[in-house]
Amino acid sequence: MRETALWATAAALAFLVTAGAFLVLANLATGSLADDLPAAPARGKSGPALDLDLNRSRLASLQPEADQELLLTVENAGNSDFSNVNLTLESSPGDTADPRTRYYRRTLQNLRSGESVEVSFLLDLHRPARTPDAPPAPDKRTEILEIRATTPEGVSVVRTAILPL
Amino acid sequence: MRCRPRALTFLVAACAAALLSGCAQPADEEPIKPLPPTEGRVDPGLGPEARPLSSGPGYKGSPSWSPGGERVAFIVDGYVEDRTVDGERLTRWTTKDFAAAEAEWTADGALTVLGGAGAVEGRPGAVYRTDPEDAGSLGVEEISEGVLAMAPGPEREDVVLAIEAGGEESAISLLRDGRMERVYTGTVPGTVTGACASPDGHSVALAVRAPGDDSPGELRVFDLQSGEGRKLFDLDEDRGILGAPQWTDHGIYFVAGMVSPPEDEGEPLYDLYRAAPEPGRPEQAPGVGEDFVAGGISVSPDGDRLAVVGRLNPKSPLNLYVLDLKTGTLDAVTTNEDMEIKTGPDDLAWSPAGTSVAIVARSASAGEPEVHAAPADELLDAFYNLYEVPIMNSTPPETSP
Repeated sequence: MRETALWATAAALAFLVTAGAFLVLANLATGSLADDLPAAPARGKSGPALDLDLNRSRLASLQPEADQELLLTVENAGNSDFSNVNLTLESSPGDTADPRTRYYRRTLQNLRSGESVEVSFLLDLHRPARTPDAPPAPDKRTEILEIRATTPEGVSVVRTAILPL
Repeated sequence: MRCRPRALTFLVAACAAALLSGCAQPADEEPIKPLPPTEGRVDPGLGPEARPLSSGPGYKGSPSWSPGGERVAFIVDGYVEDRTVDGERLTRWTTKDFAAAEAEWTADGALTVLGGAGAVEGRPGAVYRTDPEDAGSLGVEEISEGVLAMAPGPEREDVVLAIEAGGEESAISLLRDGRMERVYTGTVPGTVTGACASPDGHSVALAVRAPGDDSPGELRVFDLQSGEGRKLFDLDEDRGILGAPQWTDHGIYFVAGMVSPPEDEGEPLYDLYRAAPEPGRPEQAPGVGEDFVAGGISVSPDGDRLAVVGRLNPKSPLNLYVLDLKTGTLDAVTTNEDMEIKTGPDDLAWSPAGTSVAIVARSASAGEPEVHAAPADELLDAFYNLYEVPIMNSTPPETSP
């Protein structure tokens, strides 16, 4: 009886160890894949000296209304400081026949090496129908946010967020 | 050997912890990792040889190859553009508020465009012609209004127009070089919803909504030489023909199904049929299988193959197939799992040489925000874009000496 229990325990242990090993390997593989797909490197520089991070839940909470706050994090991941980081945000409807693009600007000063700064943009995502007889858009409404960060040193990075609204 | 219960318990707990941590979901508050720039890469499901013909945002459709095959015109959010297949040059042909529904290239290098607010709302639109000598002027000439459907002839020298004739009748006319070549006095009872010229260009097949019907359930043939038409058959009630039929040397192929299925039945299921150009009942197209769900179809320039966007069965992914009409063999051109290929009746087009098909596709959207590490204009599968998919084992038609 005791031997049977011992065998059963050993078999369960072997299963758990094997399954655990596979899961650890799977996580390692996922991690290395993510490492293979870094953000676009800054032009003219090696490595992602400048990075823009957009918060998932904050993006998902944006509504097609005025005064929507978008938060993003600007990170200086390089080895030298930036005297200025110019941020431009272009907000345009997914319907390219709609010419109503909105532009926003911010400037960060003295972003030191290794420093991260959270930046807020107050967006107007309200888009009433262009004209009363305008044909309805055939696709679901989306808003496209194209965010660029550039420095006087020639480093730049771009992110495009596509928001289903 | 002695068993040590405490050590064993610890090992089991450690393994269970490893299992649980492996299964855990990442926190929702994490920044979204940007997807990498595509740099011309195409989703592998469309095949390694597939190449993009457009990029950036916009709801695109109605691809049409120029007669030489070096350019592709298409509609983006209601306006008309064309792009050289090498991507070097993009030309916009209409204003952005044009509301185009269909664009077809003709042999003289002009585009014939069906559009206007009426066409978008299901009412007859107007037909316009671009000036091939004045690219980029955004000026178009209106040729005719009240146009229900249009179909280029076999050599794209003529365009057949179905025009509203009043009293729930349709008239047929022939357009050549931007001028009305011929207006037929004989009318078609009902409203034409789709048209396709016969391979010899002498007749046109018409999908027709009969007076009093809700859906286009009639297939008719109109003889362009005698100006007379005849009905081939009526579909069962509530079933209609999707888009334009495709007239081949092997019969008239068309997609049909319940036009307004109950909402709880989900995506409407359409079947591919074949009919002889004589009165009689259609049959399910041989070669595709009973469970095949068809979307858009397009006959190849040589008339022997039919490009079909569809599913092998209602639960399988959308793919581009080519049906060999001589042998009845169905070949999958794409092995797509993740892309949404547009299934509209006008959303695929053969190249003039018959060596590739232009389709419109995008990656399946999860309905959540996405972040990409590239400018919007360079993105491919984030939006509906055109792709040229080569048709393997296809031989270009022989050219006469």
